[in-house]
Amino acid sequence: MVDHPAVEVSGLHVSYGSAPVLVDVGLVVPAGAGVCVTGENGIGKSTLLRCVSSLQQADSGTIRVFGAEPGDTPDFWRAVVTTVEPPTWYPGLTAREHAELVCRAHGQDPDGAGIDEALDRFGLTAHADAIPPSLSSGQKQRLTLVLALVRPSSLLILDEPEQRLDPDGRAAVAAMLADYVSSGGSLLMASHDDKFAVASGAEITTMESLSEAHE
Amino acid sequence: MTAAVPLRPVRRWISRTQSSHRDRGETLGSIYVGVLFVAITGAMLHNQLTALFWPARPALTGLAASASAVLILALILMALRRIGPISLSRPAAYFLLTAPVSRRRLLLPSLRLTALATAVTSSAAAFALLGHAATRDTAPVALLIVTAALSGAALVLIAAFAQSDPRRATLIDRLTAFALAAALAELVAEAAGWTPPTLPGWPPAASLVTLTGALAVIVAIASFSSVRDLAHVPNNRILESAKTAGTLFDAAFGMEPSWVTDMIERRYWSTRRLTSSRPPARLPVLIGQDYQLARRRLPHLLWLAASATLPLLLTAAPGWLLGIAVLLGAMIAAGTTTATVKTDAGNPVLLRMLGLTSRQILIQRLCLPAVLSTAWTTAALALLQVTGHLPAGPWPLLGLAVGPLAATAAVRRARVGFVRNDLLPLDTPMGTVSTGPLVNAVAGPDLLLLGLPFVIAVAGGKPLSLSGVLLQAAVTAMVVRLYVTVSTSDDRTELTRR
Repeated sequence: MVDHPAVEVSGLHVSYGSAPVLVDVGLVVPAGAGVCVTGENGIGKSTLLRCVSSLQQADSGTIRVFGAEPGDTPDFWRAVVTTVEPPTWYPGLTAREHAELVCRAHGQDPDGAGIDEALDRFGLTAHADAIPPSLSSGQKQRLTLVLALVRPSSLLILDEPEQRLDPDGRAAVAAMLADYVSSGGSLLMASHDDKFAVASGAEITTMESLSEAHE
Repeated sequence: MTAAVPLRPVRRWISRTQSSHRDRGETLGSIYVGVLFVAITGAMLHNQLTALFWPARPALTGLAASASAVLILALILMALRRIGPISLSRPAAYFLLTAPVSRRRLLLPSLRLTALATAVTSSAAAFALLGHAATRDTAPVALLIVTAALSGAALVLIAAFAQSDPRRATLIDRLTAFALAAALAELVAEAAGWTPPTLPGWPPAASLVTLTGALAVIVAIASFSSVRDLAHVPNNRILESAKTAGTLFDAAFGMEPSWVTDMIERRYWSTRRLTSSRPPARLPVLIGQDYQLARRRLPHLLWLAASATLPLLLTAAPGWLLGIAVLLGAMIAAGTTTATVKTDAGNPVLLRMLGLTSRQILIQRLCLPAVLSTAWTTAALALLQVTGHLPAGPWPLLGLAVGPLAATAAVRRARVGFVRNDLLPLDTPMGTVSTGPLVNAVAGPDLLLLGLPFVIAVAGGKPLSLSGVLLQAAVTAMVVRLYVTVSTSDDRTELTRR
């Protein structure tokens, strides 16, 4: 896995009907590094992330995640975590129990997985016993990030993780992402907030530059 | 402060504007089709309707008839509590509830309509019940039907009384549940062989007239008070019932019953106060989650345990009907925890987060439903045997053999997803039939067809042999194995192939 870049995209074309969204896009996220894609709304950031996450089929082009084609395999989803799509929460399970469930599914001991610290850093300790649908949109966003960060993974693919977060929440998320990258994880995210991206330890690149690089 | 705006012109304007979008005579056409449908269905099914409402040999004892009346009234009250009963359409809740119009005038039509519909339903139920009562020939039918109609109206007023205060609502809901349980217990006890005490005959007409008159006075006074207090029904209660009405309408219009079940599920959990806990560490992760879910639905489990006695009520029915009812009951029991499968089938985001294979997921998700359905079926069959309604044989073993099949059916049902409206419609002599809702409705129960050995054993009325049990066990094992193998994979996470 370490011999390959975390993400390698080349010649990616995606269009919705007759409207091209991604034209000859290329991108490399080295293993153990972070890349943040910026750009205005509708430029194709989420589409790129969805294609890398195997959640959308590209018209043409090559995508490799740790040297392999992304797909709906258990191996892929044990290595990759994405928040490109919002979750539907399990009924009758509290916020903390969702985190413990994810940890147990990955063979972790819930006590040693740092759930308490994560909930604390994301300001969710007081809501640990709440069912997620009763949380605000910002709290749900933070809980999704807690789930993404407490389980083991090699690559995080996050779509605007700073959205719906207050300034303290943004700082907490950025610090945890920086920790993730510095401990060897790879990060690909889309964001509108350059300061947040820098604090997350990610290198900023624009969507325009991803297309130009191939022209 | 804005002065109150008269409501009548606003409603008239809305009605006129809405009707301008309809073709001329469309309402008359709808009424014509409705009346024709009722007339044709009535003509086709008049024998069955006669058997339902006025059977040739009525057999209900006095106490059973009273218990049935309590049961029906409790069910009506439960339904009223679910729908409101004071409600508005979603557009009215959005535009008119916030407008400076008379609250009382705004809400009165829904109360009036619900009272009328409930009175009619209660009267029809009373007529059917009287038709089944052994002493029907001496019953003052007309008077009792009027009493039933008034009781229906009283139920609406009770439900409206509960709607405006959560504490009253809890008390009334508990009393209703208690009445329902007591009525069912009486009916089950009779079906199990208990001989009820003989009730004295119908009271004299004069006493009944006095009773009905008193009820009418009480309903009139309560109606007056209820209408006076209409303006004080809290907004959140009205908005909640408007959402319910809207979801029911959407589900009926879009033929998508899952919207209603999702709404009920959401509301149930939103009212619960939970404390995080951990399932036993030895259980595999998803079985542990289902176990947690089942443990949190303890009242549901108690109702489920009590419902194992309900097949006793069908012992007078044909054997095949009893067999099918037990299978359906087992599937419902298995459905206690299948909401997790439904969540995963609808949106696999959390499955991707868990990173398990779809086969691991399905096998683990089948375990608890299989335990519940097996326990339920075994208990139901054991009760039927103990009460002498089944011949000799290892009937509880047959429950063990068929339980996992019912669980597989319940899980298949939970995985079915939304109705597909892109399927080709079928042209039949009775008109065009949409296949999407049909396919959706049978997905799940269709697997119960493979419980045929079970149904034959129950319906046959002969002693059950071990080979009969083994046959059902073999069929069940084959179905479960095939279902798991064909519908999942070791190299896929999502339950549905992309």
